[in-house]
Amino acid sequence: MDYTFQFGVIAKHLPYLIGGAWLSLLLAFLAFWAGAVIGLLGAMGKTFGGRVLYRVIDVYVVFFTNTPALVQIYVIFYGLPDLGIVLSPFNSVLLGLTLNCGAYLTEIQRAGFQSVRREELEAAETLGMSLWQTVRYVIAPHIAKTLYAPLSNFYIWIVLGSSMAGIFAVEELTGRAINVSSSTFRTIEVFTYTAGIYVVLTVVASALLALIGRHAFRVKARIF
Amino acid sequence: MPHLEIADLSASYEKGVDVLSGIDLQVERGEILSLIGPSGSGKSTLLRVIVGLLPPDSGRMVVDGTPVNFHDKRSLRDLRGRCAIVFQQYNLFQNMNVMRNVTIAPTKIKKRAAASVRAEAEALLEKVGLGDKHDAYPDELSGGQQQRVAIARALALKPEILLLDEVTSALDPELVNEVLDAVRVLAGEGMTMVVVSHEMGFVREVSTRVAMMDEGRIVETGTPEEIFDRPSAGRTRDFVAKILRG
Ligand SMILES: Nc1ncnc2c1ncn2[C@@H]1O[C@H](COP(=O)(O)OP(=O)(O)O)[C@@H](O)[C@H]1O
Ligand SMILES: [Mg+2]
Repeated sequence: MDYTFQFGVIAKHLPYLIGGAWLSLLLAFLAFWAGAVIGLLGAMGKTFGGRVLYRVIDVYVVFFTNTPALVQIYVIFYGLPDLGIVLSPFNSVLLGLTLNCGAYLTEIQRAGFQSVRREELEAAETLGMSLWQTVRYVIAPHIAKTLYAPLSNFYIWIVLGSSMAGIFAVEELTGRAINVSSSTFRTIEVFTYTAGIYVVLTVVASALLALIGRHAFRVKARIF
Repeated sequence: MPHLEIADLSASYEKGVDVLSGIDLQVERGEILSLIGPSGSGKSTLLRVIVGLLPPDSGRMVVDGTPVNFHDKRSLRDLRGRCAIVFQQYNLFQNMNVMRNVTIAPTKIKKRAAASVRAEAEALLEKVGLGDKHDAYPDELSGGQQQRVAIARALALKPEILLLDEVTSALDPELVNEVLDAVRVLAGEGMTMVVVSHEMGFVREVSTRVAMMDEGRIVETGTPEEIFDRPSAGRTRDFVAKILRG
């Protein structure tokens, strides 16, 4: 083996890669929160809606949780233009990830809906809360607290999942790594740095999430 | 005009299985009516009907002269503005501290100004002896403290009628009195109350009237003296004798 590692040469591309990391974070952030809203509505629909609504939401959930996210994004990016809907690569990936998140978060949050104590729901009802107020003040905080760990893990998963955008030439972290490696031919070095940046992203995100959880939701989470 | 009037009311959880039947009840303003009776006789169910959690199958209920329509959102909202309930099991919102538990309904549902609600909540918590626990969460409180917060929360909506369902029976014996004391204060202020309790000494002391329930019916109503000292129905006699024996 006569390959000489040249990490130094690639170091000058670090700012460019880190710039891409911001886009990764943005993509994950938007997909997660939009997905969380879809998931909340989905969980509400499945819990309080009628049988028809339950079925409709179930079809959505089953479809998106049983097919690869990458395939979903392919369909959106290459399939939708045939229907006259042309989305930019970024928007295609965002839409795919969002719908994917929405499906998983529907199921995660539905479990949260079911674990709310009946006593609290009755208290909310007798105090005169509407369904929406009950969701907002009683159920959603309960979900945030009890499901903090799975939701945090899911968020990390989305940060990593955003790397699929690189395949569609979105200039997020992985996309930029592909660019640098094809112009420098230093694939190993480039992707070593890239992996390192992902580790930093997820570790920082975990710590932040644990901190928020501890203070905002009284979750007894370890920071590390 | 009675404050709360119930006439020929029946209710069920499953169709055809009446849990309450032919309930007639009148509670005057400022009266404290206690419901006693064996477990499963329908006391909790009656309170659940009164507060609108379980729509009755038939019969009438009139609050302060206004008939309640249990299938009308408006009417239910009005009912819940007038009646508040405290349950046996602690049902505080676990995700909120004490202050927020007490202020959430007046501020978010009644849309009242936060500052005045807070001032009232402070006074209420003081009254139930928890002036120093504003920031505590339910899981940091004893059962007795949680029940007193629940009472303060119910009162924060300024109900006309307070319903208490065995608010002390999940408590350790040494905590019972602190909760009963809070209820005694309210009784002294002339609030209309319907109370379910197994604390017979307490029932006798605070009630203006006592109703004995059995198998979903009210078998006898009278003053505490009548019910405890000279019960006319055989079932009341048996029940009272049994409970006084302990
Ligand atoms: N949620 C429910 N579903 C079905 N049956 C119930 C429910 N709650 C109570 N019951 C039944 O209704 C009857 C009266 O119960 P309850 O009102 O709780 O009596 P009490 O409060 O006097 O002990 C009992 O036979 C009980 O089993
Ligand atoms: Mg009961």
